[in-house]
Amino acid sequence: MSNREATDAERAGVGWLNSRRLYRIGVYVAMYGLAIAFFIPYWRMFQLSVTPMRVIAESGFHWIPPEFTFAVWRRFLLEEPIIYRWAFNTFLISSITTVIVLVVDSMIAFSITRLRWPGSRLIFGIIMASFMIPGYVNIIPLFTLINDLGLVNSYWAIILPFAAGPLGVFLLVQFFRDIPEELEEAARLDGFSPLRIYARIIVPLSTPILTALGLFVFIWSWNQFLWPLIVINRDTLYTLPIGVVTLRSVNALSPNVIMASLAIASLPLFVVFLLFQDKLISSVQMQASTG
Amino acid sequence: MDTRDAVAGVLFALPYLALFTVFLLYPLVKGLYMSLFEWNFLTPSKSEFVGLQNYAYLLQDPNFWNALFNTVEFVVLTVPLIVILSLVLALGLNKQLTGKRVLQFVYFSPYVLTVSVVAIVWEQMFAQGGVFTHYLGWLFQGSPLNSEFWAMPALVVTTAWWQTGFYFAVLLAARQNVPETLYEAARLDGAGPWRTLRDITLPHMKNGLLFVVIASTIFQFQVFGQPFLMTEGGPVGSTQTLVLYLYELGFQTRELGFGAAVGYTLLIVLVSISLLNYYLLGVGDE
Repeated sequence: MSNREATDAERAGVGWLNSRRLYRIGVYVAMYGLAIAFFIPYWRMFQLSVTPMRVIAESGFHWIPPEFTFAVWRRFLLEEPIIYRWAFNTFLISSITTVIVLVVDSMIAFSITRLRWPGSRLIFGIIMASFMIPGYVNIIPLFTLINDLGLVNSYWAIILPFAAGPLGVFLLVQFFRDIPEELEEAARLDGFSPLRIYARIIVPLSTPILTALGLFVFIWSWNQFLWPLIVINRDTLYTLPIGVVTLRSVNALSPNVIMASLAIASLPLFVVFLLFQDKLISSVQMQASTG
Repeated sequence: MDTRDAVAGVLFALPYLALFTVFLLYPLVKGLYMSLFEWNFLTPSKSEFVGLQNYAYLLQDPNFWNALFNTVEFVVLTVPLIVILSLVLALGLNKQLTGKRVLQFVYFSPYVLTVSVVAIVWEQMFAQGGVFTHYLGWLFQGSPLNSEFWAMPALVVTTAWWQTGFYFAVLLAARQNVPETLYEAARLDGAGPWRTLRDITLPHMKNGLLFVVIASTIFQFQVFGQPFLMTEGGPVGSTQTLVLYLYELGFQTRELGFGAAVGYTLLIVLVSISLLNYYLLGVGDE
């Protein structure tokens, strides 16, 4: 298209700096300008993490530090490996949550869209209505419940309430509804049980949506902040988002230490994002189209 | 009705329903119950029934009104900024640009960060010796986070950086779904870029824009991590928000009954906002 625009312009005999080209330059300047602005916090995080504390204290603001060192990175990665423990906690919690959500949500979505049982519509209605309820309004009664169940300071305190959320049910019901019934008619006539239809037909056909939902749940679960802050207060059980906050208070006077811990804590999801960029972006878009 | 199907149906629904009932419905009901008591955390049986007194007290508590006001201020500043910024990014990136994937990566990536990383990085950006005080110190008279006037805008900018990518992705998809033939036709009619934007692009992106406005309003209303980590609600309560207020009541002063009442009030406010949004923006007539 841009080629054709160019030839149109030439045909019209306009000079090099015609309005259309000026417009394109404007678009480039704006888009790259915004990208640079978006990039600044990343750069500051990285740059401060490799600047020696002496330089930060003595010579004020830099874009590029006069000298740099990976000492703080080494400290977190090699000498004080508590951050690995937190990464492990976070990874375990997010993975278990994701598996539970995918299994349990796809089962009920299958039940609602494919099997007839009394009350199913009403129950689906209630689940959908709960969609309007923002999670945070529940935290006080939920905390007393978790406390009564003796789950404070356990992974389950974070996993179970998250897995109770209705988003996945909602998305999967929308998707399963559009899978044509004919595909399973034959299987039914052959006497396939509901379990086999679910496992052999519905789940394989829904791999794209299940991947998208799984990715999304994993990231959301990984990044939870308020709830783990409430139910976890033992430092060996912290998740990364909580752990970095405690590192901040311990190292309040050393921005390089704080920034290095943040950069390291962000790396795992950055790698996930690099690997699944398109998948993740399409899962965001999918939510909007069904929401 | 096939009984085997019915039995299977119930069995397939059961695991989720168990989670849903225990961890979502039950706390919801219990919250309403708790909000009618002066709740005793250590021995709940000693809780004292106070009826609607918590709600009455809430309505007279200047801290509640301050938190509500600040939250509304935050939402009113953040949502338009996010909508405009994500729309600009989506429309710009819909064009053929060199380095599109890199740009998309940069805009979207803050979204995968956790709020604590975002808040602490931006706290550094706004601190003494940070980017903002270095270049704009004369304007802020020190760190914006220490200024009653600038602290809230600082949280708004932080939030926009963190959240815009998500809505940008939504709007990019919405833009790509507008049929190109409409633009061909408009060009033949000699419509300029502004008219094309107003008469074709925006109306056809209506659903995407609606989602962005509604979802971001609801989400931003529950802002917690940014004020909790960057300003602790200060200075002088100027960034105290509703969820922060709720957190402090529940988990610092342990006024659980009162906190539950705040939770319910927040619920009523948010459900009304979403219903109002749906009504005003006319989702109903589709």
